[in-house]
Amino acid sequence: MRNINGSDKASGLVQGTLDMLILKTLALEPMHGYGIGVRLDQISKGVFQVNAGSLFPAFRRLERDGLIKAEWRATENNRRAKYYALTPQGRARLARAAKDWETQTAAISRIMRASLGEI
Amino acid sequence: MRRLLAGLRALVGRRELDRDLDDELRGYLDSLIEQHLREGMPPEDAVKAARSTIGSLEAIKDAVRDVGWESRLESIWQDVRHAVRGLRRAPGFAAVAVLTLALGIGVNTALFSVVNGLLLRALPVRAPQQLVMLSTRHSIDEGYPAGWNYAIWDQIRHREDNFDGAVAWTVFTQRLDLAQGGERQPADGLFVSSNFFSELGIPLLTGRGFTAAEDALGSADSRVAVLSYGFWQRHFGGTADVVGKALSVNRTPVTIIGVAPPGFLGPEVGRSFDVAIPIGAAPLVLNEPGWGGPAGRSYLAVMLRLRADQSMESASTMLRGTQRQIIEAAMPPNETWGEVQDQMLKDPFSLTPASAGTSELRRQYSRSLVTVLLIAALVLLIACANVANLMLARSTAARHELSVRLALGAPRRRLVQQLLIESLVLSGLGAIAGLLFAGWASGVLVGQFSTWFNRVALDVSVDWRVLAFTAAVSVATALLFGTMPAIRASRTAPGNALKDFMSDLRSHGRVLHLKGGLVAAQVGLSIVLLVAAGLFIRSFDRLASVPLGFESERVLVVDIDTSRAGVNAQNRAAFFESLASAVRAIPGVTNAAVSLNTPVNRGVIAVSNFRVPGGPELPPAERRAIVNLVTPGWFETYGIVVRSGRVIETRDSAGAQAVVVANEAFVRKFLPDREAVGAVVVNEMPGPGQRSSSLTIVGVVGNAVEQSLRDDAVPTLYQPLSQFVVPVPIVDFGLSVQAELGSPALLARNIASALTSFDRNLAFSLHPLADQVSAARQQERLVAWLSGFFGVLALLLAGLGLHGVTSYTVERQRIEIGIRMALGAQRHDVVALAVRQTIMMTMCGVAAGLVAAAVLTRYLQALLFGITPLDPATFIAAPALLIAVALLACYLPARRATSLDPMIALRCE
Repeated sequence: MRNINGSDKASGLVQGTLDMLILKTLALEPMHGYGIGVRLDQISKGVFQVNAGSLFPAFRRLERDGLIKAEWRATENNRRAKYYALTPQGRARLARAAKDWETQTAAISRIMRASLGEI
Repeated sequence: MRRLLAGLRALVGRRELDRDLDDELRGYLDSLIEQHLREGMPPEDAVKAARSTIGSLEAIKDAVRDVGWESRLESIWQDVRHAVRGLRRAPGFAAVAVLTLALGIGVNTALFSVVNGLLLRALPVRAPQQLVMLSTRHSIDEGYPAGWNYAIWDQIRHREDNFDGAVAWTVFTQRLDLAQGGERQPADGLFVSSNFFSELGIPLLTGRGFTAAEDALGSADSRVAVLSYGFWQRHFGGTADVVGKALSVNRTPVTIIGVAPPGFLGPEVGRSFDVAIPIGAAPLVLNEPGWGGPAGRSYLAVMLRLRADQSMESASTMLRGTQRQIIEAAMPPNETWGEVQDQMLKDPFSLTPASAGTSELRRQYSRSLVTVLLIAALVLLIACANVANLMLARSTAARHELSVRLALGAPRRRLVQQLLIESLVLSGLGAIAGLLFAGWASGVLVGQFSTWFNRVALDVSVDWRVLAFTAAVSVATALLFGTMPAIRASRTAPGNALKDFMSDLRSHGRVLHLKGGLVAAQVGLSIVLLVAAGLFIRSFDRLASVPLGFESERVLVVDIDTSRAGVNAQNRAAFFESLASAVRAIPGVTNAAVSLNTPVNRGVIAVSNFRVPGGPELPPAERRAIVNLVTPGWFETYGIVVRSGRVIETRDSAGAQAVVVANEAFVRKFLPDREAVGAVVVNEMPGPGQRSSSLTIVGVVGNAVEQSLRDDAVPTLYQPLSQFVVPVPIVDFGLSVQAELGSPALLARNIASALTSFDRNLAFSLHPLADQVSAARQQERLVAWLSGFFGVLALLLAGLGLHGVTSYTVERQRIEIGIRMALGAQRHDVVALAVRQTIMMTMCGVAAGLVAAAVLTRYLQALLFGITPLDPATFIAAPALLIAVALLACYLPARRATSLDPMIALRCE
């Protein structure tokens, strides 16, 4: 289902989480838009299929906030594409977001695994 | 911050960014196609699959654009253009709405400009917030300006180091005479301390200000003057070489040394000056030798500039600490500390903030101005209701378009934004038109404040406050009349466009209720306005019909200044009596006489305390009576009725028995149960050299208005001028001339030449008594006129609103009316049906309005005269008038209803 606003119904991703995933993807190496979409699909083993309608607004957002920067370059097929790369602020934000995510997930896991006696 | 810059860059480089995005998306699409090709799909399938995965490229572009704040701005700009287009397509609606708003916003802005100029605007001087006026506690409590004599000002000036500076000027505008004799050429004079222009930081246009040497009392150097900009333009035509020229002021030559800048009208708001002269020159120009002395008159206003770190409290404490020394130092050289000084010490020095200057006009008018401003706000509310109704009708007509747009996926928020922007555009246009109207109207309004003797000058130009007010009012107006129709429109169900007319009917009932509510509110507000207008108009009418006690139509008043005519206390009476005879000889004059005061003159009057031996014992406060000095023929000139006894005649000369004529009010208070004629009255405060303080009453006359039209008759005694030989230097007298018929102004030329040939050194000015009388009613007339104007406006708007609602009702009920007529209903039944709802709304509004009016008019008490705030006649006439207008407004559309052809009506729209 193609939804043009912030949340991608197919994968249930919320705006902030998508931003974090894009940052992580770019931490590995600079990439163009299509590549990022493909990489997210690959690494998540098909769980997250992010469509263009969510990706491109996210790119614009991250660029506006100074977390990534863009550059037109030639692709491996000698075509022109816009490559995104992390900025130092982007790296710092990613580190913070990763830490927050760890804390949140651990807490949720604890709650989900708790048996009657512990609550 | 980064977002701000990025947004600005996006606004500017829009095209380039769009192209960039387009390229990027196409790249994405191409990559996807390649992927499919690699997986082995045939080319056309690959393209189709890729396109269907991505979806609409335009939709993605929109989503990307929405990320930045500038897209909001762009959508607003789009809506503005859309609104303007829409208004161009409906010029009738646009014209009516803009005109209504322009009128409502315009009158509010005009009134606010005046309020701004009078109450709010700071003086165009350096650091006005540091300025304070020196006053006494008693003056502040009583609400009148404190005046100081020169001796006290001198003491303050010597202590100037305690503050950042001190300036002084004369409290009352001095009417100066520029002529060399004969009929006066009046100019408004202001006597100022030497540091006036420099301390206040007023940059002179040409020339210079005064020096300390020029402020020495009575010195020849002090005969210099600074002109105001307006006077320089009017009198000298703005010639560049005016510095150094001579000017004759009260027959004293002064040299012009400078011209003030255009924005400076004087230290008092509402008053302007023509010529500024150092205080030191006052004894020369005013010809009062005792002017600067310790016993001199107290009419200097003193303004202090506080130091930056000084508070008003600390300054006034410091002043009070030195009050005793100041009073002592200001005493006449041979006098010792006495009761007068004790009295002065008991009234402590006090300071009041003066950043907006001081103003007599403000004191007089501020209450009525604010009231009229509130009334104007009511008118604006009514205008808003009208425009809201118009917008409701418009959005109802456009509901199909709105439904279609909603069905196509437009967010409701965007629809509301668009309708609100349309309201803002309308109200913005109205505000611009209103500002232009206000620019003209405020000038006219200020002109209304001026009377024959009091030229009012107010700076009502548009400054930031006025602009902010207009902007705020127009935004508030837009929100008021636009919010409801916008919200209503956004609630349109998307499928409504597809439904047919009949099922739409239910929603029209709701619209009708809304419109009806609006109209009822309008009617209610109009009632309040009409009641207020009625009260003010009746007040003015009552004031205008106050019996004056004299005939004002045929009398011409000549204010005479005898200062240079060699008249003293001894020869005064003879001088005036031969003057009066000379004037009586002019053809067309039936009577002439001289007196100290003329009625309603606003000049200084003489009062004294009196006691009647054997009469009722009155407390000291109640023993006051006005004393007027008259020559024979005075009562006849004014046509004052004689109740008993006789009036002042030529036999009442200096050596004869000391007599006096009393008015009815005096008799009623001092001799209630005795025969007045022949009774003796004792003056408890005779002036020095007054021959006898025992006066015999020889006649009683009817009450004649002396000072204010609003007050009850004041006890007054008339003494013969010849018997008043007190050597008090009074120089101003009034010659009253009664004309035979027609307008007394026609005789002005002849009287002027007769006076000049009688004595060249007399200075005088003439005006009909009627002018003096109407000046006394000026404020009430202004308020009555303004509120009447607003009342008519409100009536008009309410009528338009009612007409609109009835038309709407008739239009919507067309089918029902058609059916009824086809079934044989009579005309008047149909009319009644159409009109019934409107009349019900009107009656609701009238009831609510009357209740509100009854509660609110109580606050107008102070401005009314002769009627109560719940005056029955007004409370009956106002609703009657409105109901009449309502009936008329309903009648026309109702008539249209009856002329409907049932067959046409029954067809679907």
